[in-house]
Amino acid sequence: MHEFNWGLLIVIYLFLGGLSAGLFFAAGLADYMTVDDKPVYARVARMGAFLAPWPVAIGSGLLILDLGNWYRFYKLFIHFRWESPMSIGSYLLTIFTVIAFLYLFAWLTADERQWLFSKVPATWKQVHRLNVDISSWRGKIAMVGFPFSIGVGIYTGVLLGAVSARPFWNTNLVAQMFLFSALSSGAAALMLAMVLNKKSPAEKHEIKFLVTLDVVFISLELFIILPYLIHGQLSSLAVKQALSLILGGPYTFVFWGPFLVMGLLVPLAIEVYELAPNIFKGHEFHGSRNLALTAAGLVLIGGFLLRYIFVYAGQVSSFHQMGMLN
Amino acid sequence: MAMKKKRYALVIDSRKCINCKACVVACKAENNVPIGNFRNRINEERKGEYPKLSINFEPEQCHHCAEPSCVRVCPTGASWQRKDGIVLVNYDECIGCRYCMVACPYDARYFNEEQGVVDKCTLCSHRVDKGDTPACVETCPSKVRVFGDLEDTSSRIHELLSTRRYRVKEPQTGNGPQLYYLL
Ligand code: SF4
Ligand code: SF4
Repeated sequence: MHEFNWGLLIVIYLFLGGLSAGLFFAAGLADYMTVDDKPVYARVARMGAFLAPWPVAIGSGLLILDLGNWYRFYKLFIHFRWESPMSIGSYLLTIFTVIAFLYLFAWLTADERQWLFSKVPATWKQVHRLNVDISSWRGKIAMVGFPFSIGVGIYTGVLLGAVSARPFWNTNLVAQMFLFSALSSGAAALMLAMVLNKKSPAEKHEIKFLVTLDVVFISLELFIILPYLIHGQLSSLAVKQALSLILGGPYTFVFWGPFLVMGLLVPLAIEVYELAPNIFKGHEFHGSRNLALTAAGLVLIGGFLLRYIFVYAGQVSSFHQMGMLN
Repeated sequence: MAMKKKRYALVIDSRKCINCKACVVACKAENNVPIGNFRNRINEERKGEYPKLSINFEPEQCHHCAEPSCVRVCPTGASWQRKDGIVLVNYDECIGCRYCMVACPYDARYFNEEQGVVDKCTLCSHRVDKGDTPACVETCPSKVRVFGDLEDTSSRIHELLSTRRYRVKEPQTGNGPQLYYLL
């Protein structure tokens, strides 16, 4: 009955953009965390810095290919329209991507840097001038990058939330929901990478740091989703009808089952199960590898499903399909 | 010479509509609308059960909103509004992101697959600028559609809107739609 103007590529784009934002945020935070002035989470920060730029770069590429006229994408950058979230977002995403790559560069070891530049033809003198050690800038880059990573996380929600024609999106909670989901996916992806890294196995305190971070983000996300549902029920008829898409309508199952239970509550339970004995009883943190992998995997799937549900259900919602479900 | 301010709009007397779809065909021919796409449509609203069945036909197309949300969200300015209220797409600037389609509360836009751009009713601006009426208005055999300038106090649509009761669709969208349906 309704055709979708935005499809899976937009879902993937929103997910990957948020993922990068979350990875950068977690990496920067790990960069700042010190115990007795020692950077105990440096390996986490380095891993995060290595991963952060890629999802958003890939996502932006996909989005450009999804355009009706992909080669006209440069037009996004010869106009600036402050009323259009997509216009603001294009600039935000570009600046963030540059910062994320810069941050990656700052984390390269001298050897890695030499290897990288050995691939560049020797005659490209200008490029070789860039072969400088900027590792002392890490903290500063992370500091500048924080607001941009938050901005990207929020933007992925605002892109939908700012559309007044779609009552399912048009609440001021969607931006925060997407932000916390993005930060949580970032922490989870980092956990996944740390645990899967066979060469230098993750240490317990590193896993604990990421698990703690994820518990905080998932909890925040939950406490945005709850008000979203309650608020929607108490809102105008159009919003209430839009919400019925996930309260009895076609997106009910994927919202409550795969997303809310499997993608949020189960990983939260696993992570609390891991942390609680350590916090309340002073037991040692076990950091089970398999549990960490399961939780992280589920969080990532949940993050993807959240975008999926919102992009699709939102497009179905509108002001004029009053009897849409009966 | 100072130009007088203009505000084009359509008044639709939908009770006169017999669902002959001459306007839909005329629009497709006039504007070379691709197969499978439409710039205007006739909504059918059924009430009751046979034999006490009644159907209302309600022509709809772009409302040329006073506060068009499609224009607001367009990242390149390809969607724009003329001073006389007509909302248009500048095809050379359109990147085909379809944000405007998602943002239009009246589902008035379609995606032209071949050109990769978004398109919609132009209120036949090319005819209007020559002093003609839009093709759908001209062709309608039951005179459902009245086109005119709201600022012109001697116009037929000014007269209709000041003497008849009317409604606009979903004013709560905040878009200020400019298709006026007579009651
Ligand atoms: S009806 Fe839709 S396409 Fe037409 S002006 Fe209004 S928002 Fe734009
Ligand atoms: S599809 Fe074209 S007209 Fe519509 S918002 Fe994108 S650039 Fe603007």
